[in-house]
Amino acid sequence: MRKQGGFETGRSVLEPTLPVDLSARSQRLRIIAAMIESVAEKTYTETTISDIVSRASISRTTFYKRFADKRACFDAALLHCVEALRATARGAIGPGDSPPEAIHNATAATLEFLAAEPGLAQLVMGEAVNVEPTVFGRYRNDLVPQVKAIWEAGGQLPEPHSDPQLAFGRAQVLIFNKIAAGDIAELPELLPEIVYLVLLPFGGHEVALEQSRLAEARGVAGAGGVPG
Amino acid sequence: MSETPKDLRLWRLPRGRHGLPRELVERSQRERLLAAVVRVSAAKGYEATSVADILEEAGVGRESFYELFADKQDCMMAARRLLIEDLSDAISTAYEGPGPWVDRVREALAATLGWFAADPIAGRVVMLELSALGPISRGIFQEEFDHFTRLLDEGLDGTGPQPEVRRATGLAVGAAFARIYDEVARDRSERLPQMLPELTYEVLVPFLGEAGAREEERRAASSLQP
Repeated sequence: MRKQGGFETGRSVLEPTLPVDLSARSQRLRIIAAMIESVAEKTYTETTISDIVSRASISRTTFYKRFADKRACFDAALLHCVEALRATARGAIGPGDSPPEAIHNATAATLEFLAAEPGLAQLVMGEAVNVEPTVFGRYRNDLVPQVKAIWEAGGQLPEPHSDPQLAFGRAQVLIFNKIAAGDIAELPELLPEIVYLVLLPFGGHEVALEQSRLAEARGVAGAGGVPG
Repeated sequence: MSETPKDLRLWRLPRGRHGLPRELVERSQRERLLAAVVRVSAAKGYEATSVADILEEAGVGRESFYELFADKQDCMMAARRLLIEDLSDAISTAYEGPGPWVDRVREALAATLGWFAADPIAGRVVMLELSALGPISRGIFQEEFDHFTRLLDEGLDGTGPQPEVRRATGLAVGAAFARIYDEVARDRSERLPQMLPELTYEVLVPFLGEAGAREEERRAASSLQP
């Protein structure tokens, strides 16, 4: 914790104020949340600074104290969302998981998290690429080594079956398509396909297919036998 | 801005009196405006493009523009429909050809990659400028994605191999889209045709398994040799 004193507010001790950096942080988070909501509702292109300040209940001046412009704010929101996703995926991996299971579990958790956070899903998987066409390249440069590390932790050297960058691009297209259809809540239904795509470059067709079928069986059981 | 997008070729009419029937003049004006919105949007982005830019590029008057289109978006949507139809026709022609299903898939992929490589300007607008249309872009993407998936599904009609993975045709469209998007975004459309072997493998592996897809990858590579 950073030091809390050092500034005079003139307020009573009965009405404690947040430490400066914490209130700044929450203001920042409020702005980020406003950006996420607005983008989900009306896309990045049509979101204005006025939309953000009114949603966040802050002044324009406050906005510009935190962010240089709309794009800087969007970039911060994106980073925030990506961090949240990364933590979710990492947290889903069990200590005893084999590499295919670990990748399967991380993928499942990611899809469930996206389904539960529609605004975040829109921003990360839908709008980001519209704002910055190379953003998926950046995600992949970040994700591929992480998945590769999970695979290698099992002691199996990755036999490069195909291009992992392409696999992640394909997964993104499927997810984007669901989001475009307004079916964010159904994202977990894509698990069999996404697990297949993500495992294919590392484990090859047979390993990928095995996990994909497990995911399918799990999905059918989880949905109470509702056909997909 | 000298390159002409395929199938949106300028049909320049002499200015002034030409004695052509009104319908023909309008048709030509429409085509010039469609070509212009694509060219200008590729150069400066759809968002930054104004109706005035389109008029200047097309050499068409404002009044004629508004007789043909409600606004800039209407004009862009018409251009997009035309381009997607053209791409779809190119794919269908290749896919409906003779031969076994795997060969027809390879030909369809080659046609897709070739379409984007042959006209980087049209490719850029199709891939990168869709989102600039705002919220309606989501529905358009979905509709087009479904269209190409159905197109692939229809050609499969029980004669081809049965996929081991669910919704394998959707996966195939996704593979082509992901690869093409990447290359277009990096301004490397001209490299796309060389990606045929790799893409053939990716598209066919859910249908044929590892060994079969590798075999098709090799055949695709040899089909690229002059």
